[in-house]
Amino acid sequence: MTAPRGALRLIDVRKSYRVGPVTTEVLRGVDLEIGAGDLVSIMGPSGSGKTTLMNIVGLLDRPSTGRHVLDGRDVSGLGDDALSRLRNAHVGFVFQAFHLLPRLTAAENVCVPLVYRGTGRREALGRARAILERVGMGERVAHRPDQLSGGQKQRVAIARALVGMPALLLADEPTGALDTDTADETMGLLLELNAEQGVTVLIITHDPVVARRCTRRMRIEGGQLHEEDPRPPGSAGSTAPRRA
Amino acid sequence: MPGILPILGANARQAVDSLARARLRTALGLVGIMIGISSVIAMVSLGEIAKEQARRQFEALGTDVLLVRTVAASAAPQGISLADAIGLVEAVPAVAEAAPRILGHGEFRHAGRKVGQGRVQGVTAAFASINRMSLQAGRFVSLLDADRHFCVVGATVADAMRQGGSGRIVGETLEIGDILFTVVGVLDPRPESYALPVQVEADESVFVPIGAAGRIADNPAIELAVARSSAGVDYRAAVADIRSWFRRRAPDLQLDIITAKELIAQMEAQMQTFALLLGSVGSISLVVGGIGIMNIMLVSVAERRREIAIRRALGARRRDIQSQFLIESVILTLAGGLLGILLGLAATWAICRFTGWEFLISGMSVASGLGTAAAAGLFFGFQPARQAARLDPIAGLQAE
Repeated sequence: MTAPRGALRLIDVRKSYRVGPVTTEVLRGVDLEIGAGDLVSIMGPSGSGKTTLMNIVGLLDRPSTGRHVLDGRDVSGLGDDALSRLRNAHVGFVFQAFHLLPRLTAAENVCVPLVYRGTGRREALGRARAILERVGMGERVAHRPDQLSGGQKQRVAIARALVGMPALLLADEPTGALDTDTADETMGLLLELNAEQGVTVLIITHDPVVARRCTRRMRIEGGQLHEEDPRPPGSAGSTAPRRA
Repeated sequence: MPGILPILGANARQAVDSLARARLRTALGLVGIMIGISSVIAMVSLGEIAKEQARRQFEALGTDVLLVRTVAASAAPQGISLADAIGLVEAVPAVAEAAPRILGHGEFRHAGRKVGQGRVQGVTAAFASINRMSLQAGRFVSLLDADRHFCVVGATVADAMRQGGSGRIVGETLEIGDILFTVVGVLDPRPESYALPVQVEADESVFVPIGAAGRIADNPAIELAVARSSAGVDYRAAVADIRSWFRRRAPDLQLDIITAKELIAQMEAQMQTFALLLGSVGSISLVVGGIGIMNIMLVSVAERRREIAIRRALGARRRDIQSQFLIESVILTLAGGLLGILLGLAATWAICRFTGWEFLISGMSVASGLGTAAAAGLFFGFQPARQAARLDPIAGLQAE
């Protein structure tokens, strides 16, 4: 198996939902090209299609029309099982609400993606401990989520996202539930991992501070995506409303 | 296929953990399954025990024993004559041995002391051989004793005589009612076999020559004749021959002939009724328990929508989620099944004590109990597991 590299392209992706007789178009022809190792932020107000875009990029959802190309392979027509496998191998998720499994220890949580890949328990735990060490959680491998602070939970979640060596790390408001200092540390960790391991990082955020630290910044509005100028962001970021 | 085992292992750990959390709900679901499985166990066990009982029966006495009885309201009050009963062997080649019996009842006294109370059975030597009775001392009574006052005592009676201080029992005098008999033999202990056509109760009985029994028994008619059919003769042919012999000798006699084969068949029919009853109780409680399990699993799926969505996002396929919940329901029913096996074996033991059958644990029953439990888990867990597998991960991730 060739290692995934994390280059992805969306070509004229549209997504619409039908609720009763009403069809709502959430994504209206999104084009996106991300190279392997890019560090990208996407900002946008609520209802702009951010989440839908992330679900499609994260292989949880399929575009209604358009193409989704991952490392040169068109994945828009894949079935559920193939998408699950690809998600497992290719994508690491970091969520705003952490989404750790409450009954499992930090190490066991990190093991989950490996389990679905068929890695043996011993090997999976070994790799989980190593990556928890890397994100600075080596002392807390046996803790359960309710014994961890928000920042610690997010570190465990980042470790879980990375343990399977995905090409693409997809972070949805990764600092949204954290205080400023912890948010800063968490962003620092993501930046380090991007630089160190070459993993492509795509961050969806409301926070202009977060967006400013990314090398490429995009905005989504009304279901359409625009890349912002590589100049230091000013008004564009600060007008984004903060989600309650 | 590589990697299935780690997934199954992780699923099983997860399942045990989540079941342990919902204790009350789990316990309620278990009760139904437990009762269902215990019925299955009792049903299969009793079937096996009855089969074993029949097999031992066959080994102990053979299935060639016939019981010839006069019907109570028979027009011939004198019943079977001794001559006819004994002549049966000569006249009917299908009968190898015949043992008439006159049955009385009395109190036994020895050296002025009561040593027992029980059956006084007037018999011939054939009675001992047909019923496989053996002697620890002396000899059995025979036709040659005619009406002489000899007797053979059963093991329990002999023990009571020994407690009175008599070392050698053969040669002692035993009072039966008011009549004196000389002991000529002592029987070995003989466990009663309940499925037999003849109730012998040898241990508590005293056996006297059939010619001498008339003085003791209130009704000196020959109460029954036990016959053994010749080797290789179909028992139905033997029954027909016996009927035709008595029709010639005593046309008024109404006979009832019971064969060991019929008794075994009767016992099997009884067992089938039992099995049917237990089977229906078992299936009803299995269905009730299974619906309980299904309910538990549906609640569990609803409560864990977010967990399911997270697992799906991390790469679990639908079948991984499905197997996680199936394993959970199978573990649940297997736990109920194990308890049910214990309960079922206990019930079987109780029934065996009640009926006098010998209790045994059959591997077949335990296997069928576990098999049924696992099948119930798969069957009733299928729909919830399928529902879990089909949950939309996107909705689950957004749910609070």
